[in-house]
Amino acid sequence: MTTETVPPPPARLPAPLRSALIPALGLAAFTLAFTALMAFTYDATRERIAAAGEAQQMRLIDEILPRGQYDNALLKDAVTAAPPAGIKRIWRARRGGAPVALVFETFANDGYGGRIELIASLGIDGKIGGVRVTSHKETPGLGDYIDPARDRDKARPWIGQFTGAEAPPPQATWAVKKDGGTFDYRSGATISARAVTRALGQGAAWAAARRDEIFAAPTGSLIDADAQREREQE
Amino acid sequence: MSSPHIRQPASVRRIMLTVLLALVPGITAYVWNIGAGILVNLAIASATALAAEALVLKLRRRPVAITLGDGSALVTSWLIALALPCIVPWWLTVIAVLIAIVGAKHLYGGIGQNPFNPAMIAYCAMIVAYPAIMSQWPAAGHADFASQLQLILGGSREIDGITGATALDAMRTGLRNHNEVNTILATSAFGFAGGRGWEWIAAGYFLGGCFLMAQRIISWRLPLGFIAGLGGIAALSWFISPERFPSPLFHLASGGAMLAAFFIVTDPVTSATTPRGKLIFAAGIGIIAWVVRSFGVYPEGIAFGVLIMNICVPWIDRHTQAAIFGQRQERRP
Amino acid sequence: MKLQHLKESARNGLWRQNPGLAQILGLCPILAISTNIVNAVSLGLATVMAMALSNLAIAALRRWIAYEIRIPVFILIIAALVTVLDLAFNAYFHSLYLLLGIFIPLITTNCIVLARAEAFAAKNGALESTFDGIMMGLGLVWVLALLGALRELLGSGTLFSGIDMLVPELSAIQVFSSDYPGFLLAILPPGAFFILGCLIAAYNAINAHRAARTPHAPLPAALPQAAAATN
Repeated sequence: MTTETVPPPPARLPAPLRSALIPALGLAAFTLAFTALMAFTYDATRERIAAAGEAQQMRLIDEILPRGQYDNALLKDAVTAAPPAGIKRIWRARRGGAPVALVFETFANDGYGGRIELIASLGIDGKIGGVRVTSHKETPGLGDYIDPARDRDKARPWIGQFTGAEAPPPQATWAVKKDGGTFDYRSGATISARAVTRALGQGAAWAAARRDEIFAAPTGSLIDADAQREREQE
Repeated sequence: MSSPHIRQPASVRRIMLTVLLALVPGITAYVWNIGAGILVNLAIASATALAAEALVLKLRRRPVAITLGDGSALVTSWLIALALPCIVPWWLTVIAVLIAIVGAKHLYGGIGQNPFNPAMIAYCAMIVAYPAIMSQWPAAGHADFASQLQLILGGSREIDGITGATALDAMRTGLRNHNEVNTILATSAFGFAGGRGWEWIAAGYFLGGCFLMAQRIISWRLPLGFIAGLGGIAALSWFISPERFPSPLFHLASGGAMLAAFFIVTDPVTSATTPRGKLIFAAGIGIIAWVVRSFGVYPEGIAFGVLIMNICVPWIDRHTQAAIFGQRQERRP
Repeated sequence: MKLQHLKESARNGLWRQNPGLAQILGLCPILAISTNIVNAVSLGLATVMAMALSNLAIAALRRWIAYEIRIPVFILIIAALVTVLDLAFNAYFHSLYLLLGIFIPLITTNCIVLARAEAFAAKNGALESTFDGIMMGLGLVWVLALLGALRELLGSGTLFSGIDMLVPELSAIQVFSSDYPGFLLAILPPGAFFILGCLIAAYNAINAHRAARTPHAPLPAALPQAAAATN
């Protein structure tokens, strides 16, 4: 057996100060050494992590806005909207400096399982280029079809019906068929569909109405949302 | 009735056959109002249950004929078929019955040994596994046997035409949309008490339950406890806020409330055995059912209530026994 | 003698003291992340790396770790190494990192890691300890892989879904036809308990069968490092 045992506590009791100091210094030394290791790794991976995060964000945006349609650094060309708009970040796609499309993040608070986060693109022609659900807590197998990865209909996922839809006029929104609108829902789980449809319609209406203002605003600025009526909370 | 009876096949057989007989009024109302699809499901469930029971008994090297003949598997399978929507595809019924008989009954040691109600284990497993199919119920007045049969045999489920929201579903969706109870009750899903058409089925179960109580097959305490639990908490919430909570009558007449009150919470193996314990056990199920119906995400909460209270049975029995025997708490080790 | 030791380590980690089936340690990741085989094996391999590195570091430094403060130092070393792993996953396997999410940092609290540090690495050489960490980790990996495969197959009828996040050229295998209705219960947390229960039952049955065939075989309980902790 090559097994070695950890040295037992010394039989002879040293001075109290000494017995407290040695482990404390040991612990401090280990802490210092391993913190240094973490700091070094953090520094070494920082740029790659930022790049990976951006690549991930771009992969998502690629699904709703083809890369070929614009030539600017999309993620750098961002503005934010004031909270009542119900929209968070907005990115502006341009080609040769001319506006092409807006990519915006919005959300619905009235999902069956709470908040549903969305990202969508709105072309300069006022039509939706694509929509994705980025986070939700809808019932598995019932309401989670709003996420195309969970949608059992892979050929025609539910979320695809918004592609090409015209943004509603200002102050208006969209509705599912059950509520007299034009959008489909899956029977047994209307609430998830309704929440997504309404939030998306409101977001699209808001963005379409202020398209020129949004494209003209300097990068990083806050789009004023005074005119937007208070979004219904909950 | 308590456990000593369970081991006697002859008496179990008589009880089980009486229970099946007591289900007939409810089933008749079912066929009349909703359609004959339920009969197909009952047949599929029965055949699966008998085959599974025989197979497991053979594997466990137990006498097949006696236990198979006691009818307990048949009762479990009928309760499953009645608890599931009557237009579920055949394979779902088969999986549900297999889970009940093989998993919930025999893995725990067979009849008399299972702590959980097998039919409710099966129902919960199905509602968690197939929430979409499990929330598709046929609407009353669309009792077209051919289309029901087609669905049972695995036809396409693009069935907006013949399904309708159940009373519980319509109520929940309506309330989520900030409608008031009375506005919701005026829509077509509702009849005079619960779901349109379904209230007669509930009445049928009630009739069968009274028969079982008259025959002394089930104790009156279990149905009463359940009705008092569900009705009591529903009444309380209804008094406080009648526009946000439906009435106790609605709760008792819709969903599986009457089936549960007389045929499920009364399961002799998995319910509490002491008189006071029975009341507590059944009332607990009613309260949990109301909580899940009012605040949960699944369409019906009784099954979850049954399973949760099943776990509590040993504890309830232990704490309600002292009074019967006149012993004091501290005597027990 | 040394080879004998390595064999013993391998047998312990992979079967007799298997963290998933025998010690039932580290249930949190087992139940949470084993919804498909790719997730399960990814987290398993991350755990292998964490255990190998932490066992190596602790065994190499064991002479300088005072007895009184060994547990804080072990935790410090494990947490630091897991943080390094977490950053590396974030940088190099970003989509996998997003998927495994909180479960990479949570390897720190997986008690199998600390259990091996205390029970083995603190008493053995660096090489043996690294090997022990790898074997214990691999024991977890195969259980996770089997659990993930069963859950994925039952739940959605596929295998290796999400493999394209690791190797973009590969894609998932559709085992059952695409109209398989799925069995959602297997993917949800209760399914993890049921299937792990079945695996443990099978494991015990195999052990019982073996014990019956070789009545004089030594019992697993006689092993030197039996960590009796449960999660």
